[in-house]
Amino acid sequence: MRMVRAILWRGGVGAVFASVLLPMLAVMWLSFFDQEVVSFPPEGYTWRWYVNAWDKKQFARGFVNSLQLALIAAVLGVTIGTAAAYALVRARFPGKEALGALMLSPLAVPGVVLGTALYVFFVEVENVIDVDIRATLPGLIAAHVLLTVPWTVRLVAASLQGIGPAAEEAAANLGARPWTVFRRITLPMMRSGVVAGALFSFIQSFENLELSLLLVGPGRSTLPVEMLNYLEFRIDPTLAAVATIQIVLIGALMLITDRYVNLSRVVS
Amino acid sequence: MAGLLLPAVLLVFAMMVAPMALLFRYSLNLYSPTELMIAAVTPANYLAAVSDPYYWAVLRTTLTVAFEATVIALILGFPAAYVLARMQGKWKGPLTLLTVFPLMVGNVVRAAGWMTLLGNSGVLNASLKAMGFSGVEMMYTQGAVIVGIVTVVLPYMILTLASVIESIPVNAEEAAQNLGARPFTVFCRVVLPLSLPGVAAGSALVFILCMNAYATPVLLGGARFKMMAPAVYDQFVRTTNWPFGAALAFILLFVTLGLTMAGSMLLQRRYKR
Repeated sequence: MRMVRAILWRGGVGAVFASVLLPMLAVMWLSFFDQEVVSFPPEGYTWRWYVNAWDKKQFARGFVNSLQLALIAAVLGVTIGTAAAYALVRARFPGKEALGALMLSPLAVPGVVLGTALYVFFVEVENVIDVDIRATLPGLIAAHVLLTVPWTVRLVAASLQGIGPAAEEAAANLGARPWTVFRRITLPMMRSGVVAGALFSFIQSFENLELSLLLVGPGRSTLPVEMLNYLEFRIDPTLAAVATIQIVLIGALMLITDRYVNLSRVVS
Repeated sequence: MAGLLLPAVLLVFAMMVAPMALLFRYSLNLYSPTELMIAAVTPANYLAAVSDPYYWAVLRTTLTVAFEATVIALILGFPAAYVLARMQGKWKGPLTLLTVFPLMVGNVVRAAGWMTLLGNSGVLNASLKAMGFSGVEMMYTQGAVIVGIVTVVLPYMILTLASVIESIPVNAEEAAQNLGARPFTVFCRVVLPLSLPGVAAGSALVFILCMNAYATPVLLGGARFKMMAPAVYDQFVRTTNWPFGAALAFILLFVTLGLTMAGSMLLQRRYKR
């Protein structure tokens, strides 16, 4: 009886973890199906949907756009966020807690509300300065940097917590100039936070749908938006191939980052 | 040194505070089919939204899906979180990563996965037919949306609960066991009460995510199934009634925040007793 219960318990818990991974495995499997119409079991297996996916202009362009957008947003967000996190941990000034909460607040505002708010805001600004912001790369970057800052602030601040300013003061006393102190002491100390912040920033921007949805335009769209538009009509192995590429890209990024910083400790 | 904060503060003000203030201002304006928007300060849009049976139905669907998905995620997530929290050795790290991974992949990809599984000729229906049963219409139902949303939010629930369960000393459980409590009693009298803060935090987070879900209801619920987030976007994309869309967005925000705060206050009061 105890054995049965133990097996049921383990099986149940395993099933919960599996159910989260199941849809991703299904879509990866589908991307190799030989027939175009989704039906099971598959008639055979092929690689050709991957070629087909790249030939479809909307996916190729969406992929390149998303990559470019996520890279720039992550670099900007990590720079701004790291500076803010450093000041939040080290500086003493009134209202620090409130500013810290403000830095994290973009995570708390629902994507729908933020997406529509940015849309009307960009329209209003366009009317005033007479420059296109919607459907441009700078417009999308401005919106996405907002997503990346809270992640960086949280992760870098966490990595700095508990490390006193003593090492930095010692270096300065020994004659190191501020830039040298930053490069040789401060940056190595918060390395794990910065690397993890960069990873999460890139991914947050790459997979974001809600903010991009209203800010994209013809020729300037992102991969998640293109996938959503396609999926509203049908699912087929070509779309599955695109989804698989995204799964593999993000999985690879997480594994590479995990070699430098212990990700499972960072997230929990 | 506080100057280092300046770029981040400016960014949050320019890209979040100002746009949201503007959206709120729009929600008080009047709509006109010819001029699109007339400046005014009126609650008309909010009143129109709450007195329209269509949006009541949309809000009711959203609340039903969010409540059911949160409860299911809590029930399924608790044992998984417990196992993850109490795990020792080399598998703990990989399992944590495997739990975080789906969060990073994005909702669109995971919805595509459920479309593969639940479609009329999808994996589940093909398996049913192969076993001699007749197929079941699963796509474009509320059930499909709930299944999809539960798996989207489960990792958040598991990670939040696990971090709280980890801080409960194993000694407390062992003491109860040694005093003769059976596993179920240990769970009810020791583990559950001590993990209530995690239950509150995880449920609040998951409920907010469910209320604002976009990709999952659009893709798994289809065109006739409407939840609040897609309804808000429709006002901006399909119609030009921005004041009404803005009001809908803030109704969604206020209802979500109000219910989340009421829920955690209720839980806190029980916890103190």
